[in-house]
This record gives sequence, structure tokens and C-alpha cells, in this order.
Amino acid sequence: MWNIARKEWKLLLKEKGAFFWLLALPIAFIVLFGTIFDSAGGSSLKLSYIDLDRTDASRAFIQAVADAGGYKMVEADEAALEDKIQRIRDGKETALLVIPKAFGQEIASAEGGQTAVTVYRDAADAAAVGPLLAILDNLANGYRDSRVKSALQATGLSGPQQEQVLAAPFRIDDRPENALHNNGITQYVPGYTVMFVFFVIISMIRRFIGDKESGMIARMRSTTIKPISYLAGIWLAYLAVALVQCAVLLSFGHWAYGMQLGDVAAVALLVFALALCGTGIGLALSMLVRSENQGVAFTQLITMGGAVLGGLWFPIDLMPSTMQTIGHFTPQFWAQKAFQDILVRGMHTGDILASLLVLAAVALAGLALALFRFKAFMRTATG
Amino acid sequence: MNPAIEIRRLRKSYGAKKALHDITITVGEGSCFGLLGPNGAGKSTTMKILAGLLEYDAEDAIVLGEDIRRSGDRIKAKVGYVPQSITLYEKLSALDNLIYFGEMYGVRGGELKRRIREVLEQVGLADRSKDPVASFSGGMKRRINIAAALLHRPKLIIMDEPTVGIDPQSRNHIFEMIRRLKQEGVTVLYSTHYMEEVEALCDHLAIIDHGKVIAQGGLNEVLDRFGSQAVYLELSEGHRPPALPGFGEPAAQGRGWLLETPKPLDALAGWASACKERSLPVIRLEVVRPSLETVFLALTGTTLRDT
Repeated sequence: MWNIARKEWKLLLKEKGAFFWLLALPIAFIVLFGTIFDSAGGSSLKLSYIDLDRTDASRAFIQAVADAGGYKMVEADEAALEDKIQRIRDGKETALLVIPKAFGQEIASAEGGQTAVTVYRDAADAAAVGPLLAILDNLANGYRDSRVKSALQATGLSGPQQEQVLAAPFRIDDRPENALHNNGITQYVPGYTVMFVFFVIISMIRRFIGDKESGMIARMRSTTIKPISYLAGIWLAYLAVALVQCAVLLSFGHWAYGMQLGDVAAVALLVFALALCGTGIGLALSMLVRSENQGVAFTQLITMGGAVLGGLWFPIDLMPSTMQTIGHFTPQFWAQKAFQDILVRGMHTGDILASLLVLAAVALAGLALALFRFKAFMRTATG
Repeated sequence: MNPAIEIRRLRKSYGAKKALHDITITVGEGSCFGLLGPNGAGKSTTMKILAGLLEYDAEDAIVLGEDIRRSGDRIKAKVGYVPQSITLYEKLSALDNLIYFGEMYGVRGGELKRRIREVLEQVGLADRSKDPVASFSGGMKRRINIAAALLHRPKLIIMDEPTVGIDPQSRNHIFEMIRRLKQEGVTVLYSTHYMEEVEALCDHLAIIDHGKVIAQGGLNEVLDRFGSQAVYLELSEGHRPPALPGFGEPAAQGRGWLLETPKPLDALAGWASACKERSLPVIRLEVVRPSLETVFLALTGTTLRDT
């Protein structure tokens, strides 16, 4: 058995394709989505503006918009106004802010003057413009509060009295529960780790079908090795591959993006159950499919279908309730849920037992199916 | 000579299709036994059964003194099987492949290292041991394919067409290896499409067609029993052979004529005296020994190379 596993590792080290599928591609996905959602990085959303006032007050306002929305502000010349509006009409830009002349003077005025900041926006892109409008509304409220505060001060009210008058009738008491480190990284790193563990199935199918078609299995049957050792050897080899793969991807998330691993022992146990599950399905499919192409097709279905339904690409809560229910029947869902429980909610082994049991059950079912079909597989391989 | 292989009435079916019908073969210990037959005749099936790969029916199937149905791994430890296809991992080196197969046969540690060195010397590839098999020629791959079956010092080697598509240098290496194995007392069961290989290597042979043994015995015995005798006459250019009353018409062959007859010595004497009487310039006059090619043709109605 060790002999077969060792040979398999030697072969894998010489197969660049395996590295690509099992490590390079998932890392590329993590880097891609990590770059987009890295909480430490700045937003790259650009917002154009034309500042006709060019005072300290207008500059402070622009900075406040940038800070509140995480926008990269791009100044445009007054002469470019028509061009900018046309770009919005063409869908090439989302919005344009125009700060009017005397903006600073009007907002500083105690006589209740009012100026207008114009927002040209793409009406078809409400998702992008909505937050900008909310931010501007908030800023307007802030300026209004300042003006009210000045007026109250003029009436001779003390500071605390002013605060009391200005205080909102209710406040929002924000208490985030079970979300110690929730961000895009804690979604995508475990998500792509879970997804690509199942790609090990392709390598397993290639080996079994390749050995069968090349006559390697027939030759092996002429030696003193027990057939079951062959099955176990291949399983052991790819179980180790899946474990290393998970370790590399999670470590990458930790070191490159600062993803907190939480209870490492629980993560290790979960990774082991996940590797058992992926390779268990790999064994079963290897014994069932008739050709490598058929195997690859089934694997794509399992990996991609499971990734979508299991909530590996985006939170499962965003899906319709029927799809969420179907997602519960995928091992990917349970693996991702357990990762989220540990990484985001700070849970431990005892809290993810249901996920561990589901993954182990799928692994056992795969193994049972593989053992059931193994004799027929060997018979056709030696025919 | 004790039999290394003794099979009686060996039968094998794939569903309704009968692949082997009552094959009976005895192979002496330390001999090289050739299996000849067209594609699909049953040679590979017979070899796979003897290597313990296939289920079968037989009155007796004794290999190296043990019933192969009951002996399991004990027999496998004494038999080396070289399949028709090259079963090596091309991305691995020759050395890694041999380590893999050696351990499959239960050879390990220092003994395995020693055996790998020895078999690599035997097949003439000691200097290429660390190269990936993918970089080898077809003949070199065949030699490593054979080497992998020798690591556990088998007493019986089963070789299923081991020289298909190889260069003369590799073929010579393989021939030398088989002769050396015979000298060491190893029994070789050898199937091939090449008659000259059987004639060069084998002491005994069986010709199989449609799953049945249609001839078997010692090489000379089979040639004598199933091959037609003939006399060959070659004269100087422009001369025709004299007619021999009581014999058939000679057929042109090469630069001369071939006369097939059950009485070759009478035909030889007749042609000798007729040529002398007519003062015909004889270049060559001889009794021609039958070849396996003609035996095979006579028995199966086809040439082996056409199959």
C-alpha cells in the first residue's frame, strides 16, 4: 500500500497539470477575490467631481465623501461637464458630483442659505449609486446639525443642552453576534479550498482508468500484492494530497490576507473529514465510470454544482429558499458552514459535529460503493 | 525433465464466446516453450491464466508443482509475467519503475537494490536507470518491461510477445537474456508472431488457433510431422529442370525450383542422375528442411504475419 502511495506521489510531483488544478488555480482564485474584497485595501471605485467653488469647505466636503464611501475621487474640469454627462448616459461612468460656486459661503452662512450639490447619475445602476446618495444625505444632515448647533449656541444654551436638543430620539445599538472576523476573505479562502479539494477526484479517476487501460492493473495482479492494497494505496496517496492542498490554501489565506484560523485543532479535524469526503467520492466515481471523459464530466458536475449550491462562491443566504434547501444536500455546504463556524463565529469541534458527521457519512458511502464495485472493476481490468 | 507447467483440458469462456477449448500443454522445467498463433487464437488468454489473472476451467492446471487455483500468492512469487503491452509509468525513471515492481513482488531494501543493478545490467540499460522511461526507444521500454518481471528471481517467466515493434539491438538483448535465463534453469513460456524467434529460442512449441492446440511437440518433431519435405534445384541461367516421372511439377522459387514430395531422397537422386545424363550445369541441389512458416501455413491456411 505504501509502495503504491509513494509511486503516486512521485508521479504527481512530475505532473504540472496536477499542481495547476490542485494548487495554482485555487490560489489564483483566492488572490483574485482576495484583492477585490481585502478589507485592508482601499476601494478602487472611482467618482468624478467638478469643484466650481475651490474653497477649503468644498475640498473638505469632497474629502468627506471619499472617506465615507471609500471612493477614489477624480477631479474633472468644468469644461468636461457635457462629456462626463454623456459618459454616464453611455454607461461608462456611474456618477458625477458638481459642487457649485459659493458652496463654502452658503454652508457657513447663518442666515439659512441653501446651495445645491448636483449629482448626475446612471439611473440604471441603482446598486452603485444608492450608497452614494445615502452618503450625501448623511453629509447634508451633518451640515444641518452644525448650523442648528450654531443657532442654539446663539440662544445661549450650554453645550450639554445643545447636545440634548440635537440628540436623535432613538439610537442604533449595533451588537454583531457570532461574527468575530467576518469579511470577504473568510468566505472565499475556505470556499475555494472546499471547492478545489473535490478536483482531486479527477486525478483519482485518471489514475484508476489509466492503470486499467494501460494493463498496469493486470500486471499488478500477477504480483503478490493484494488488490485491496492497490485501492487503499491510491486512496492514501490522494487523501494526503487533499490534506496538503487544504493546508497550503488555508495557510496562504492566513499569511497573505491575515485570515484568522480560529480553533486550529477544529480546522484540522474538519480538513481531514473534508479530504476523506472528497477522496471517498473519488474512489466511488473511479469504480463507476467507464471512461476518463465520463469521469471528468461527473466531477465537473459535483465540483461546480456543489460550489454554487453549497454557498462556496457567495453566501448561501443570497439564494432562493428552494436552492438553499437543495444546498443542504451537498457536502460542500456542510464543509463551508463548518469553516464559517470556526473562522467567523469562533466555534470549536463540539459545535461542528453535524458537519463532521455529514462529511464522514459521505466518505463512508463513497468507500462502500467503491468496495462494492471493486471486484467488477478489477475483473474488467484484467479481462 | 520435470514439468514446470502441466495443463489439461483448459477451458475459458467470455460469456457465450469460448476462448479456449481443452488446451493441453506440458512445458518442461528449464526449457523455452513457444506459443504460436494468430491474433485472437488464445495465446494471451492462456498466458494470463497461467499468471493467475483469469478464472478458468481445467482438469489440471499445475504450475511449478502447484495447482494455480489453490496456491494463490505462492505461485505468483515464483512467476514473472511480461504482458504484451508496455506497462510502465513513463514519467518515472527506469529505476523508480523497477523499485515499484520489485516492491510489488515483495523484494525490498538491499536485496532490491542489488537485483535492480543486476537486471539493468542484463537488459543493457544500467547507464540509463535515472532517465524517465518516456525518453526511451520502444525497444528500451520493452527491455525494462521484461526487467520488471525478473526482480524476484522467478522460476518461470511468461512473456507475451515481448519483441513487438523493437529494433534489432533490443531484440538481440532480449534473446541473450532468455538464453541466459535458460542456462540458469528458468523456464520460459514465450509467445510471438515471429517464426524465426521460436526457431532460435524454443525447444518445444504449440501452435494455437481458434482456442485449440493444433500442433505441439519438440521443434524438429513438429517440423517433421507437419512440414512438407522438398528438394531444391538451381541450374545455370537459361536451363529448366528435367521432369521426374512419378513426382509432381516443381514450382519456381528464387533462382531455382522447389519440388515438394514425401520422398525427398528419391527426388534428389532422380534429379542428380537426370542432370548428369543431360549435362545440365547444377549450381545447387539439396533437400530442404521444412520451416515453421510452411508448417503454420499448412495447419492454419494462413501466414502468421498476415494475422
